[in-house]
Amino acid sequence: MAELLPPDVRRCTYFFLYDGSKVKGEGDRTREGICYFYPEETPLDRQELLCGQLAGVGRCVSELSFSPVRILRLRRNKFAIRMKDDFFWVSVDAAGPAADFQDGSGFVSSEYESVMVIQRIYLCRSFQALGCSVEVPIVSVCELLDQLIDLFCFYNGSVRQSYQLSSQEFLAARWARYLSHLQSGSSELHHIFSCLRTIDSTNVDPLLLLKAALILQACQRCPLVLAGCILFRGRVVSTQMCPELTMKVMVHESETYTKTPAAHCSSGPFGGAVSSVTVFLTLSELQYLQSAPVNKHLSSESTPQKETPRRKTRLSRTLSDMPSTDSDPSDRGSLQSPQLESFSPQLSDSSVFSPVPSHSATDPLHPPTQPLQPPFSNGKHSSEAEDEALEEPSYYHSFHSNGGDSQTDASVFEENCQVLNGGGDGGGDGGGDGGAACGTVFDFREAANDESHDGKEDGCRSAPEPPRPPHCGAFDDPEQSQLVPMTLYLHRVKGLVLALLVEPLFLSDTASMEEVYHSSLASLNGLEAHLRTVAPGAPGAPGPYVFAHFDHIQSTLTTNLSGGPGGAPERPFVRATSLLHSHFCNTETLQEAIIRSAGAAVYGTRSVAQETYFQQHGGSFRNSGIPNHQDSAFSLPGKARHRLLKHGVNLL
Amino acid sequence: MKCLLIASESAEVLFHWTDPEYQQHIQEQYGASQEEGQGLPAFEDSISTLFAPIIISCSTMVDRLGDSYTSFTTENNHIYVLHQFDECLYIAVNGDGEEGEDDLRRKTYVMKKMIEVLFGMVTLSSYLLRRELRPQDTDQRARLWKHLQSLLETYSHLRENDQSFLVEAVERLIHPTLCEQCIEFLERRLVQQLNSSVERAGEEVLHAFILVHTKLLAFYSSRNASTLSTSDLLTLIIMAQNMYPSDVDHDDPAPEDVESTSGSGPESFYTPEPSPTDRDSSSSEEKPVRGSTPVFEFVDPDIQMAEDSLQTLEVPPPDPSTPHRVFLEVSLKEGLYPMMPHSMYCLPLWPGITLVLLTKVPTSAVAMSVYKFLEAFAKLEKRLSEGQEGSAATRGQPTIHDVRSKLDKFIKALGPSEIQSAQLQNVWTEFKNRAFARGGPGFNRDLIPWCKNMKTQLCGIYRQCFLIESGPTDIPRRLSPGLQERAQTMVQEKLMDWKDFLLVKSKRNITMVSYLEDFPGLIHFICVDRSTGQMIAPSLSITERATSELGKGPVAQFIKRKVWDLVSTTRHYLQKGYSTVTLRDGDFYFCYFLWFENETGFKLEAGDIPVLPDDSAPIGMLAWDYYRKLLRYYSKNHQGEVVKCYELLTVHLGVIPTEIILQHCRQLASKLWEPSRNPLL
Repeated sequence: MAELLPPDVRRCTYFFLYDGSKVKGEGDRTREGICYFYPEETPLDRQELLCGQLAGVGRCVSELSFSPVRILRLRRNKFAIRMKDDFFWVSVDAAGPAADFQDGSGFVSSEYESVMVIQRIYLCRSFQALGCSVEVPIVSVCELLDQLIDLFCFYNGSVRQSYQLSSQEFLAARWARYLSHLQSGSSELHHIFSCLRTIDSTNVDPLLLLKAALILQACQRCPLVLAGCILFRGRVVSTQMCPELTMKVMVHESETYTKTPAAHCSSGPFGGAVSSVTVFLTLSELQYLQSAPVNKHLSSESTPQKETPRRKTRLSRTLSDMPSTDSDPSDRGSLQSPQLESFSPQLSDSSVFSPVPSHSATDPLHPPTQPLQPPFSNGKHSSEAEDEALEEPSYYHSFHSNGGDSQTDASVFEENCQVLNGGGDGGGDGGGDGGAACGTVFDFREAANDESHDGKEDGCRSAPEPPRPPHCGAFDDPEQSQLVPMTLYLHRVKGLVLALLVEPLFLSDTASMEEVYHSSLASLNGLEAHLRTVAPGAPGAPGPYVFAHFDHIQSTLTTNLSGGPGGAPERPFVRATSLLHSHFCNTETLQEAIIRSAGAAVYGTRSVAQETYFQQHGGSFRNSGIPNHQDSAFSLPGKARHRLLKHGVNLL
Repeated sequence: MKCLLIASESAEVLFHWTDPEYQQHIQEQYGASQEEGQGLPAFEDSISTLFAPIIISCSTMVDRLGDSYTSFTTENNHIYVLHQFDECLYIAVNGDGEEGEDDLRRKTYVMKKMIEVLFGMVTLSSYLLRRELRPQDTDQRARLWKHLQSLLETYSHLRENDQSFLVEAVERLIHPTLCEQCIEFLERRLVQQLNSSVERAGEEVLHAFILVHTKLLAFYSSRNASTLSTSDLLTLIIMAQNMYPSDVDHDDPAPEDVESTSGSGPESFYTPEPSPTDRDSSSSEEKPVRGSTPVFEFVDPDIQMAEDSLQTLEVPPPDPSTPHRVFLEVSLKEGLYPMMPHSMYCLPLWPGITLVLLTKVPTSAVAMSVYKFLEAFAKLEKRLSEGQEGSAATRGQPTIHDVRSKLDKFIKALGPSEIQSAQLQNVWTEFKNRAFARGGPGFNRDLIPWCKNMKTQLCGIYRQCFLIESGPTDIPRRLSPGLQERAQTMVQEKLMDWKDFLLVKSKRNITMVSYLEDFPGLIHFICVDRSTGQMIAPSLSITERATSELGKGPVAQFIKRKVWDLVSTTRHYLQKGYSTVTLRDGDFYFCYFLWFENETGFKLEAGDIPVLPDDSAPIGMLAWDYYRKLLRYYSKNHQGEVVKCYELLTVHLGVIPTEIILQHCRQLASKLWEPSRNPLL
């Protein structure tokens, strides 16, 4: 029955933006309301049918439930939907967490579009949901849609304004570009996890990554520079931004990489190598970027409590918020008695899945994250971490002594750790030992130990685009909060790009610009030369096993899957991964799972920060299906632990 | 916040059920859109107005896109599940997070199954079914809807609280000696006596079974009866529960509690009805459902259109000895006949213990003929609509000429009876003129409407024969009340000494205590034999007063919740082709296994399991027998072998090493069926 059809390689088969305010009277034609429809070659009457029916039914259901429709399924398609109509918008805000989310002033001044009644529906469709093809989980479809809308707002500002200012054709080209970027040549696994593409850091000298981080740090000496990232051939080398922001920045980079700088880019005084473009940040993104590095954790507390069930950062936030380490013992106490929470049903069931978590409900959200950690993980992690720290002591120490001021040091270090971890040396563990090495500043990290990556996540996640809970939750919508124009500065050296988010003033401040340019130029050239010579790592040797390792915090994926679409032997693995991923997303307390069909047994495990999937090839899984402890399927966890160590995935 | 709605394509409400919260929600909704000063309209009108756009959009999508909505989810997690059965659109809504998409889909399928059991082949004609579900007479409609609503509520209650309805398999009382005695008693004494009595009025008892709450004590089928499918049996148990609910899970003192059974009579069993006329004092046999279930506080202020309808809702209760007409599947040597008419006699022995008799009605041969004709016309219609013409369209068994002569005879035979067959006669004549006449249009597309018309006419005949209450001229065709009473007394005498034991036993059929020593760390398990549709599981009854081994209060509730979630999770994986699942979740370790054996217990190799789409019929045995299809699918590679299918679910403490857990599972799988391998069905 299975594996009959290769799935459509496109990740999204329909996408449209429909403005219901233009279709009100009897005489108004549906086509007036269609702002953008993808694929554009769809016959107009079909466009009208889809827009009209789906918008109509969506509106009707929304009115019945007092809440916008989020997911709509047909027998053969599934649609993620976002609809905003002022009336709904206001009422949803009042009930949902988004209302409390900005600190006072910023939110009050945010643009209430009370003049126009706009109803917009964004839709996109995933793969044909035929039983035998890989189904991308609905979680991922929703994520894709949100990414798309966020992207649009990042480069164009609010949707309404852009449609007032620019022509439909112009914006249609934009939508098409973002769509094609999001769909461009990555594997199904990438679609399932919606992850960033990074350079394969197992092949790269860690010193190069350090160098990249230092370049970024150096740029930050200019107070007008908020944060930056370095990209090489469309892949992230190092970033100071959260994954969501990095992803947005990458769109522009890939665009300029393939074309000459587009018309809207203003060339600087440094020729074609440098360009800039206006982008729009949400208030919370900006707030995070502007805050002094050491205060980021503190300020993150004041940012919205829009925690999602998937991102389990609460506990570590509590820890990192503690100014002293005095209270740690008690916290650890609670940390190590997970039974308490996992036994209480109201915590794990109701509050976590409460569709619109109220602001006050976020505190009770802390405990349920606990059962996720195996009770024994702490000890093991710390020893592991120490081992690693011992392996490269010089590296850390040199870095540490380099920084001087402890504040900048902290942030750089953090970035650095992130990058290194991205290199796959064991997920987020590096952060832990980094903290240990760094001394007092990171004491609380050490206490939190393997949660340390959460600390970082904190930093990043306080930016406004935490992926939403799959089926619910109020949006942290770029359009709801005020958008602040900023500038994206790009300095290209062949395949390498330095992308900086800077204050708009930066462009007129020639002195700063020159300083940034000249201070980084030489290093960039050197980095580029080195990276160019790095052999494009052997495409994951088709070993006796396949695995996929997803890091939630950095949104990166490590896999030895070749990645080409439709590889028949991989299909069972991708299918199982897709199912397990959505199960992990929907079930807070689930830690590991083994599922077996007639042909394949797949093991999946997740911790706070990562998800890992593993399948062993060969060794016939044909058996009776009756419980049997000698069954090879049940040895998968052990095998995964051993095999994946050499990929830098630590499952201990 | 729950709702279930059945609507026709023209957005006419054919049935609706809402819980009080959703009803209020709808009224608020509607109130908001109403003009000031206007009273609220009838509830049925509000709900139909609010849902009409969805229903209409649904049929537009089917017409123009060939695709239909299956579900909506809103940001505040309201879920709408839609499913179209023929021309009836079922919409199930949940707004309180208690049910997921799968639960709602299951609910719609169960509703459809119950309608099939109640209306038989009439469901094959959308036109007739519409009229049947929505009688012109408002009183009749209110009565029918109340009945369906209470069936649905009984089902929902069982699904939420009873493990056998969770996994959709029958649970038996594990007491081999008593079971055997009872089966023998049913066979040698009861059924024999009933079937040899002259008072049976032509009816023949085919199946007899004794239920203790929802659990089966004994089941006997007479020799010439076909097997009763699990799906039908489960539906009958729901109906029996609906008639004589056991309030095990309610806080009010449950009379079937051991202490109270001796003292209190049937009166204390039924909560007194609020309505004044509905009750005559001696009626322990009438249907107490109407208003006795506390959930069913459905005296909605809107459906009563006028004062007088209030009265008519309380029509004198039907004669308690009137059987229920049910339509069940019959498999005979010559084939499978769905929806054959039976009479169901539900005789309460004591509160919580019920004897159910299923009889074959004397005219059931008519139903078989009608079914064969319906099948023939449906096949013909299908071929014609595929574009085949002439002889290509009429080939196959039975030949069209065969059908022609048989149908002629059939109509002739109907002639003298009081069944109105004139209409059928006319349509048939017209059909013959078109199809067979020389130079006539013959077999082509133009004949399709006539095929449809013939089917409707045949369903109409079926309806007259089996669905309409026997007319005034008719002598009541049923076991005489005296005979029923005698049967009741016989079984009562037989079980007199056992009844208290049985009532306790039904709550603690098997308990975890007996497994703790051999299986340390095991918290719960469920084992299901899918080939016979039976399950075994330690009791998990959680009431305020009684404690189970799981303790009481939140922990027990929590584990129960986990078990329920586990079942739905594993079903999801099974739907996608995974027959083994292990999960480490919180402090627990869950396992699920599905495997096949042959008759001698030899484990067969695991085969491919079909991968089904998300919106496929729910996996289970009640509404749509997934496992029967699975067995058929699997047996294709095991010709000539009897294939059996088993499922095992376990819940362990997470600290137990995996190897031990798997050993436990293996032992459970091999041991479980041994002590109880006496034939049930």
